[in-house]
Amino acid sequence: MRIAVCRPQVPFAWGGAEIFTDELAARLRMRGHDADVVSVPFKWYPGERVLTQAFLWRLLDLSEADGRHIDLVVSTKFPSYCIRHPNKVVWLLHQFRQAYELDGTDLGQFSESPADRVTRRKVQRLDRLALGEARKVFATSRNVADRLERSTGIAAEVLPHPPQDLEYRCDEYGSFVFSVGRLDRAKRIDLLLEAASRGGVDVVVAGDGPDRGRLESLANGRVRFTGRVSPEELADLYARCRAVFYAPVDEDFGMVPYEAFLAEKPVITTTDAGGPLDVVRDRETGRVVEPTVEAVSAALAIAPEEAQLWGRAGKTLAERVTWDRAIDTLLA
Amino acid sequence: MKAAYYSPLPPSRSGVADYSALLLPELSTRVEIEVARPGRFRRRPSADVLLYHVGNDPDAHGWIAKELERRPGVVALHEFVLHHLVAGLTLARGDARGYLDAMERGHGLAGRLLAYGVIDNRIPPLWESRPEAFPLAGDVLRSATGLVVHSSFVEDRAREAGFAGPVWRIPHPAWPLPGIAPAGLGDGPIVGCFGHLNESKRIPQLLAAFERVRASDPAARLLLVGALSSRMRRLVLPDGVHREDYVDEARLWSLMAACDVVVSLRSPTMGETSGTAIRALSLGKPLVVSDVGWFAELPGEVATKVPVDEREVETLVTVLQSLLADPDRRAEMGAAARQLVAREHSLDRVADLYASALEQAAGGIAVSEAVVREVATAAADVGIAPGGPEAKELAGRLEEAGLGG
Repeated sequence: MRIAVCRPQVPFAWGGAEIFTDELAARLRMRGHDADVVSVPFKWYPGERVLTQAFLWRLLDLSEADGRHIDLVVSTKFPSYCIRHPNKVVWLLHQFRQAYELDGTDLGQFSESPADRVTRRKVQRLDRLALGEARKVFATSRNVADRLERSTGIAAEVLPHPPQDLEYRCDEYGSFVFSVGRLDRAKRIDLLLEAASRGGVDVVVAGDGPDRGRLESLANGRVRFTGRVSPEELADLYARCRAVFYAPVDEDFGMVPYEAFLAEKPVITTTDAGGPLDVVRDRETGRVVEPTVEAVSAALAIAPEEAQLWGRAGKTLAERVTWDRAIDTLLA
Repeated sequence: MKAAYYSPLPPSRSGVADYSALLLPELSTRVEIEVARPGRFRRRPSADVLLYHVGNDPDAHGWIAKELERRPGVVALHEFVLHHLVAGLTLARGDARGYLDAMERGHGLAGRLLAYGVIDNRIPPLWESRPEAFPLAGDVLRSATGLVVHSSFVEDRAREAGFAGPVWRIPHPAWPLPGIAPAGLGDGPIVGCFGHLNESKRIPQLLAAFERVRASDPAARLLLVGALSSRMRRLVLPDGVHREDYVDEARLWSLMAACDVVVSLRSPTMGETSGTAIRALSLGKPLVVSDVGWFAELPGEVATKVPVDEREVETLVTVLQSLLADPDRRAEMGAAARQLVAREHSLDRVADLYASALEQAAGGIAVSEAVVREVATAAADVGIAPGGPEAKELAGRLEEAGLGG
C-alpha cells in the first residue's frame, strides 16, 4: 500500500511526535509498504491563526501523488487529521489541548474575549468534523482516548506504540534514580529533586529545556544534569539506574515508561500522570503515589530486589507492545 | 466573555422562569452572566452578547421584548407564536395603532383589516381563536441577531418567516431528579396529565378517551393536576378522575412518579416545548403526546404520538389501553426515556450548548471574517479569481470546516 503518515511540524522543534511518525513510516516500509511522512509547518497563534493553519490541511490533496494513488493516510495530531481522504485513519497522539482541558489554566492560550472563545469552539467543531470522518480512530493511551470521548463523543481504540529503538539492557540496579525528558514545568522534575533531597537519593537528569536553570538552582550535590545524551548514553543510563522517575501532569502517552521497562527498570509516577498509568501499576511495575514530596520521597526508596521484580514485570508488559502488532491493528 | 441575560425568573410562575432558574447556575460556570431586571430606571447591563428569553406571555416577557427592540441580541424563542405577547404589548396598553401596525407588518392589508375587526369586536380575538395562523413573530425575528430554539418546528417556522441569521437548536434541559417517593394513590393503573389545563391540552378529548378506557378497566384512574381554565371548569369529570389544582414542585414530582403513563397532548401548538414532558421523560414514564410541533419530534421509542384528527379520541383509547395492558412496553419506553434525557437533555450538555451559542454570537463573525480574509488574501496572491471555480472550492471547504463567513 502507499501510505502517507501525516504530522504537523513546528519548525526547529523535534520531539516524541516526530520520532514516532518517522519510526512508523520506517516500520511500514520494512513491511513492504510505500510509506512517507507528510508534514506541514504549524503555528497556532495569535488569535485565529490556529484555524487558518489547520485549514491548510483541509486544502491538501493526498488522493494521489505524482499520478499514483495513495491508499491510506494515517494522521497523528491536530491539525494533521483535518486532511480529507476517503481512507483516513487517525492514530491520535493528542488534540489541540489548549482548546480542551488546558483551557483556563496557565498552559491555555485562549483568553475570555469573545473572539478567543469562539476560536476555541471552532477548533472543537473542526475536531468533530475531521475525526468523525476517519474510518477508524486509535489513541496512544487510555488517557488520550478518554479525553477524546469526553470532548467529542468519538470512541477510539487504545493502541500504544513501542518506544524508540535503543540497545535496551539491564546492567545493574545502581544507586541513582533516573529522569529523562524535556525540562519544562509540566514534567515536574522539581518534585523529584525535592523528594530526592529529603530522602538522600542520588538523581541523574537527562535532557534539556526551558526549566533547566531553575531546576539546577534547586538541586543539591547529589543531582547530576547531563543535558542531551546520545542514544548509547541513554541506553547506558537506563541500564545502570535503580528506577526511573516519570510524573508529568496529565501526560498524553509517555514513551519513558516503556523504555524503562525494556531496561527492566521500575517506574515511579503519580496518580495524576495520565498516560503512564496505563502501564505503571503500584507495586506491580513500579510505584504510583500522590503528587506530594512526602509520597514521592517514600516511593524513591526502592530496594534492588523490588526494582528487579517490578522492572521485569514491566518488561513483560512492554514487550507486548510491538510494531508488528500495532501495524497489524492499524491496517486491519 | 460576558453575557446579559433577560428572562423572567421565579417567583414568576412562567415555564421560562423555571427554565432559567434551572439553567442559570450551570451556565454561569461557563460564561460570565449579568442578569437583567425589569424596571425603567435600571441600568442596562453592558456585555459582549445579549440573550433574551422570549415567550408568549406579555406579563412575563413584555419588558424583554421591549428591551430587545432597543438593543438587538440573541433570542431564545420558546414558542413561535407570539400573538398574545404582541396583543399584550399593544392593545392591552391602549395602543390600538400598534396592534394594527403589527398585524399589517405580519400579514399585510388583510391582517390590518382583521385587526380592525378585533378592535371593533366584530370578530373574536385572534390570539384566542386562531393565533397559530397569525404568529406575529416578525418583529422579534427582525431584532434577533441569532436564535436559540428547542425544535426543528420552530427553526423551520423562523426560516419560513425569512430569518437568515444563525440558529442554534438546544434541547430543553432536564431537572435533576428529586429524591421523592411516589404519591400513594391506591391500586390500579394511573394516567397523568399535568400543567395549565386549557383547551389546547385537549382535555375534553382526554376525558372522553379515559371514560372508555375505564369502561374496560374499572380500576384505571386519571390524574388531572394543574389549574383548569375557565372553560374547562364547566366540564363534568367522569368517575375515576383525581383532581389536584396547582401543586408545588415536590408534590408535582411525587404525583408524576405515581403514574404509569403521562399524557401531554397539544393542539394547536405555538411551537412550545413541555416542561411536563421533560419531567416525565426524566422519571422514565411512557409518554403519550399529540403528533404536532416539538412533540412530534420526540423519538417514537419514548413517546406514542396521537394525530390530531377526527379519530383522535379513538386512537387515544387504543394507545392508553395498549400501554396500560403492557408493563414490558412501558418499561422499555421508560428506559429509553431515561437514556434520551441523559444523552440529549442533561443540564451540563444544554449549558455547554448555550455557552457555545453565546460565544459564537459574540465573536463568531469577527473570527470568521479574519479567517476568510487571510484565506482570501492568500488566494488572491496566487491568482485565484473571485467567483472562479477555485474560489468556490475554497469557500466550500471553509463552510464545511465551520470557518466560513
